[in-house]
Amino acid sequence: MKKTNPSLHRVPGHITAHRAGNFLAMAILVAVSCIAIIPFAFMAGASLMPGSDVTSIPYRWIPAKPLWSNYARALQGSDGDWIYLRNILNSFIVATTVALSSITLASCVGYGLAKFKFRGRNIVFMGIMSTMMIPFEAVMIPLYLTAVKLGLQDSYAGLILPFLTSAFGVFLMRQYLLGFPDELLDAARIDGCSEPRIFRSIVFKNARPAIATLAILAFRGQWDNLLWPLLITQSDKLKTIPSYIVRYTADLTADEGTMMAVAVIAALPVFILFFSMSKYFLQGAGVYSGSKT
Amino acid sequence: MSVTHAKKSLETKRNSWGWVFAAPGVLFFSTFSLYPILYAIWTSFHNKRLLSLKPPKFIGFQNYAKVLTSPDFWNSVRASATFCLGVFVPIFVASLLLGVLIATRTKGRRVFQMALYSPAVLSSVVTASVWAIMFDPRGLANQFLNGIMGTPGIDHRWLADAAMVQISTMLVYIWKTVGYYCILFVTGIGKIPLSVIEASVIDGANAWQRLTRITIPLLKPTMALVSVMIFTGSLKTFSTQYLFTQRGAPLAPINVLTLNIYDTAIIEQNLGRASVMSLLLFVTLLILAWLQVRAGGSGEDM
Repeated sequence: MKKTNPSLHRVPGHITAHRAGNFLAMAILVAVSCIAIIPFAFMAGASLMPGSDVTSIPYRWIPAKPLWSNYARALQGSDGDWIYLRNILNSFIVATTVALSSITLASCVGYGLAKFKFRGRNIVFMGIMSTMMIPFEAVMIPLYLTAVKLGLQDSYAGLILPFLTSAFGVFLMRQYLLGFPDELLDAARIDGCSEPRIFRSIVFKNARPAIATLAILAFRGQWDNLLWPLLITQSDKLKTIPSYIVRYTADLTADEGTMMAVAVIAALPVFILFFSMSKYFLQGAGVYSGSKT
Repeated sequence: MSVTHAKKSLETKRNSWGWVFAAPGVLFFSTFSLYPILYAIWTSFHNKRLLSLKPPKFIGFQNYAKVLTSPDFWNSVRASATFCLGVFVPIFVASLLLGVLIATRTKGRRVFQMALYSPAVLSSVVTASVWAIMFDPRGLANQFLNGIMGTPGIDHRWLADAAMVQISTMLVYIWKTVGYYCILFVTGIGKIPLSVIEASVIDGANAWQRLTRITIPLLKPTMALVSVMIFTGSLKTFSTQYLFTQRGAPLAPINVLTLNIYDTAIIEQNLGRASVMSLLLFVTLLILAWLQVRAGGSGEDM
């Protein structure tokens, strides 16, 4: 990935010459940022209010007295069986497993495609790339039937298997590893390093930026996934966060404050990741347009 | 001679390791992409029902005929098309404008990028649940709109009225995705060679001329990419519509294709027809992907 210095695009004279334009630009950016942030402020504030305050007119943004018990009730669930806690654990298990397997498999396959000229390499690469055009929605029904046949309904295996790796992940790793110096690999070979070990201790360890980007994409993909868990799980014990939230929100008698506490708890892990590794998040978003040149 | 020969055979031997590394990929994608899509095509020609013990029977194009003549399917086509077109212009214009504004800024760049991107980080179901509460009859959305229009106490029926619920799902989607596409534009603008911009400054171009004559024309490949991504992404929307209907919103106005496929397969248990709809969705997305490749190709010629 090439790095470009953002400040280079600022041309001298631009800002001083167009002070009014600059002010307008700033005003637009601030206004839109506010629109982006307001629902977060609402969610956080409302999660500490009793339901009646969430729908009070006029709405008061700051809770009169923070109602922390909303969070306890959110985790406990409406039946008091702590099922949400279990669903959070499920989401962690699924998302972490998928993130780990997807970085391992994608870098392994991507390495094979980037650094070895074997027979049929182009066919394999084109084949994998063409599956990128198959949307999950088009294959979910047959996948579901197959999973049922294999007895994977209501199991972690059923939740995880279809997402072990992704065509996009393979593409990302291949592009990254194309630029990996061959000299490093050859030096290791001369030292008598075996191919699997070269992959493990040289390639995998030195592809950190791409791997971090991919791990975050994969983790978030499963943290957000609603459709497949909806199909493959029946029992509440195996549900993940998204299907729990849908069920909770569907209950019109549920307390709105507690509902927002449920939402905050679901959002928190990903936002902790976002604030600690924002670079990789933005890189992940830029990968598409980055892959064009 | 023998040295190069030995070297060559060593190299072929080494290259066969490529197969070893690539094999898990071949195995995975054949099982989880290739096989299911073939299975979907097969199912679309059979009267397969979920949980039925009878062996499925070949029925030719009957599923296709049923789907293509059902008003329910065309309603979904309408719902998906309305949604796609409704979100396209706002997302495209807003993300391009914000992308340009952020890219030409040095101070506070990262802060704005993070603020605008944060809705994209929130999972779609959480987003839908937060907005569902804001769209409550006594909720924030009504208070905000009444405040602007000076109409206190009016319920705009965000999740109840057929037209409003469509607008509501669009608003949620626009709010959630603008930041993401904005980052794509920022990356795209960052790729414009500095020399081109410098040359234009030396030639005396002002900021507006630079924007309309240089940045925008050179951004065409990114624009094409973003357009196609907005279309394909919004065609696959599911969570917001699903959650809103679960909370009591009317189904018909927002019964987008993905939601219909899910209902047909799981609630009606008619897998043949669900497969037909997924294949039609697939073909549509394929055409869009083809357009994307073409757009990308013309970008590289430039």
